Amino acid sequence: MYSPGVERDDFCSLAPIGWLHHKMQDSFFLVVGTGSCQGFLQTALGVMIFAKPRFATAVLDEDDLGGADPLTGLRPLVADIVREHAPAAIFLASTCTPEILKMNVGGCAAPLEAEFGVRVYPCRLDGFDPSYTQGEDHVLQSMIERAPETDEQNLVILGCLSAIEEAEIRIECAAMGLPEPAFLPDESALALPAIGKNTVLAPTHPYLYGSASYATRERGCPMHKTIFPYGPDGARAFYETLAAAFGKTISYEAREREAWAALEPTIAPLRGKTIAFASDAMVELPLARTLRAAGAHVPLVSTPNVYKKFHARETATLADVEILEHPDRFDLFARLHAVRPDVVVANLNIANALEGMGFAVKWSTELTFQPIHGFSGASSLFGMFATTLRRHEALAARRERDGTAAAPIDLDFFRQPVRA
Amino acid sequence: MKLALWNYQAPAHVGVSKAAASFSGVHCVVRAPKGDGYGTIMLAMFERLGVLPPLSFCAMSEGTLAGEAANLPTLLREIDERHAPELIVVTRSATALVLQEPLDGEVAMMEKASVKAEILFAQTHPIRDDETSAFAKTTCEIVAHFAQDVARSERPSVNIIGPSLLGFHDRANVESLRRAFEAVGIEINAVLPLGASPADLRNVGRAWINVATAYELAKPTLEYLRDRFGTPYARELPYGEAGTTRFLREICAICEIPSSRIAHAARDAKLLWYARTVDAHALSHKRVAVFGAPTAVAGIARVLHDELDMPIEFVGTYLHSGGAWLRERVSDIANDVLVTDDYREVSRAIDRTRPDIVFGSQMERHSASAFGVPCAVVSQPAHILNFPLGYAPFMGYDGANHIGDLVNQTQVLGLEHHLIETFGPRGQGRFAEAAPEPAGGESLATASAENEAGAPQWDPAAEKLLGRVPFFVRKKARANVERYARERSLATIDESVVLRAREHVGG
Repeated sequence: MYSPGVERDDFCSLAPIGWLHHKMQDSFFLVVGTGSCQGFLQTALGVMIFAKPRFATAVLDEDDLGGADPLTGLRPLVADIVREHAPAAIFLASTCTPEILKMNVGGCAAPLEAEFGVRVYPCRLDGFDPSYTQGEDHVLQSMIERAPETDEQNLVILGCLSAIEEAEIRIECAAMGLPEPAFLPDESALALPAIGKNTVLAPTHPYLYGSASYATRERGCPMHKTIFPYGPDGARAFYETLAAAFGKTISYEAREREAWAALEPTIAPLRGKTIAFASDAMVELPLARTLRAAGAHVPLVSTPNVYKKFHARETATLADVEILEHPDRFDLFARLHAVRPDVVVANLNIANALEGMGFAVKWSTELTFQPIHGFSGASSLFGMFATTLRRHEALAARRERDGTAAAPIDLDFFRQPVRA
Repeated sequence: MKLALWNYQAPAHVGVSKAAASFSGVHCVVRAPKGDGYGTIMLAMFERLGVLPPLSFCAMSEGTLAGEAANLPTLLREIDERHAPELIVVTRSATALVLQEPLDGEVAMMEKASVKAEILFAQTHPIRDDETSAFAKTTCEIVAHFAQDVARSERPSVNIIGPSLLGFHDRANVESLRRAFEAVGIEINAVLPLGASPADLRNVGRAWINVATAYELAKPTLEYLRDRFGTPYARELPYGEAGTTRFLREICAICEIPSSRIAHAARDAKLLWYARTVDAHALSHKRVAVFGAPTAVAGIARVLHDELDMPIEFVGTYLHSGGAWLRERVSDIANDVLVTDDYREVSRAIDRTRPDIVFGSQMERHSASAFGVPCAVVSQPAHILNFPLGYAPFMGYDGANHIGDLVNQTQVLGLEHHLIETFGPRGQGRFAEAAPEPAGGESLATASAENEAGAPQWDPAAEKLLGRVPFFVRKKARANVERYARERSLATIDESVVLRAREHVGG
């Protein structure tokens, strides 16, 4: 159990619905919660709805809160969804309120599936996880629970990736003579790879500890101890580790060297610069690792949580880096002021306030929305930081040249001059 | 349980925090799971704040489930130290309500402890209140908390009630009203909640009159100030040129200011003259629908009808508690008042009536675009586009000019398409074919089952003829012709049916 700082800045685990429903085009996400959950989806996923959205909230009313059977309430809603959207599968998400009420939302999945003939995956998407990205972890675990068993040796790549990222992995696996990888999730919510004791299950995101360890526990596949495939160094280690899992010794040393050479124009401006993380996506550790490999200083990494064994290979490279887990907002600010980074990675709650304090801020949401995995994603990865730095420096130089300021909007801006 | 896809209003705790955080010297604390904290992101992003907003979340964690007490005292001390507010308003979200924590007790305990700020526990209900009622009640509570008995100001003065952070063009609206008041010689006593300090609130009783920028947000405060200080409030709404003049006349009468000064305030207003220019004559044929927050709808609909002579197809609001008020306000200009918080119902009404322009919220902009109907956004719920860097008021004389511009800009797009279609796309390869309907127009506006059953068949020549109708009225024309054919039991529509339908139904 983790205990957060007094005031911290993070996001809700419902957010991954944004990329998961996009990835699985035949899915529907039914969130059982309050008007807040609905408001969050509406606001955070940035969508005023053009067409039919494939996610909705079953808003609990006072009867539900008073202990009514959730199945009774859900039945007509699921009937509506099946009629209107005909999804191949419904993800039935329990949120904070059902958790507090100990309402058995998950228990409704099987009867709903039987009644409507549509697969229903129960999952927990609540605000009690350290990181919002772990919403994806819960969704994937609910899918692993339904995946067929096998004794065959096969390769499953775990984690929501874009088509371009998947293509690289597929091509590299073929080149290394590994089995054709299956991806979880794939484009259909019904596409489930077989998972058993001889499966190599390779997580691609650092926030997938729960689903990966579930598979180890329940299906007996060995925990794949990996470096996550961010940056050329990460990609190399990821592929070499995959090959080793299939008993092959393959060196990607030359491949990594070529990749760094090709990236030189992008990473040159980052060399010697100081980058700090004040974000909450739980992808901070591998990004810090590869930024350091590219020549940047990364003295400070704030991340929601470190899973000691799961993240061991990443933290091993960060021995001299200050890692803060779920820090208090003001403790974090104090550290940032001490470190004076050239770029701060921060989430939207505090991004503008940090700009107001004089930092150059890279907003962290892109870390989970951009295809930055593998060799092919490295240019985008470093480009995000390089662009932030270049833009900040260019604008500052022009302000200097012109003798202008860029005064932040503060709360006095909204005060009216009353009674002159 | 109720299925919610998209809502016009946020939950109550968002209304509380919008109101409380808008005051100066007031800090808001919400006890909630971290996901409810998206309100801070909206404040930081939409208002582009370069400082931390005066809004904090006392986040529930996994430990909370195991019975761990809220760390509210620590948080309050931290806020006290770092922000030094005079008042901290504490509220909780629906999820925190379920937890049944004794927050009130903790707050009471804190008052004895080392926190210098006063602490107020918002008296709203996290489930039964909505964003609007929570905002209205909280504003009134905070006003009542600070208000003191004071003498009326020497010169006539006014309180402007309703503007807030995350409000709809509120800062510009206040500026526009301030210019108008200044021109007639009325001081602004306080604007609240937006930027009002505890000192302003102690003096809130000095004003001669109160005005609301949104009646639904201001009502409890207006009534409280009337009952406590006997301050009257204006009934007229400051929308439009004539509307603002009526508004100022009402206020000048109460303040015993000669109404001759109003002409000076209106010196830059051009909306009424614009309505007389031949450019605007076609507006008499542009049917409009207006949907949104009650006050904005009442104000804008009257401008469009009374000042621009635009026929009203329907008006409506998502706020059930404001439905009766709106009906009464527009009874002379609109037959049809739609009160619903289901955006799909509004979308169906737009589809059914096919107005030429919709004036609505961001939601109506999307609904209307599915039918190729242009839409001007004039009401909450807003999004980032409604937080312009520039000056874009909707109220007062400057607001009247802006509404005129908005009417112009909104219909221009359709006209451009029409001109390209009529005069041909010489030299523009990609327009060589007849202008297509905007993407999504046909597919989203699916015909109802009833239509499909009795739908007459179009022959190719008739279809081609229909294709020559400008795209933005094509759907309507098709429906008119089909209705004409059905009423006469015609199974096939040929060119002559189209022409006869046009003769009978118009279009």
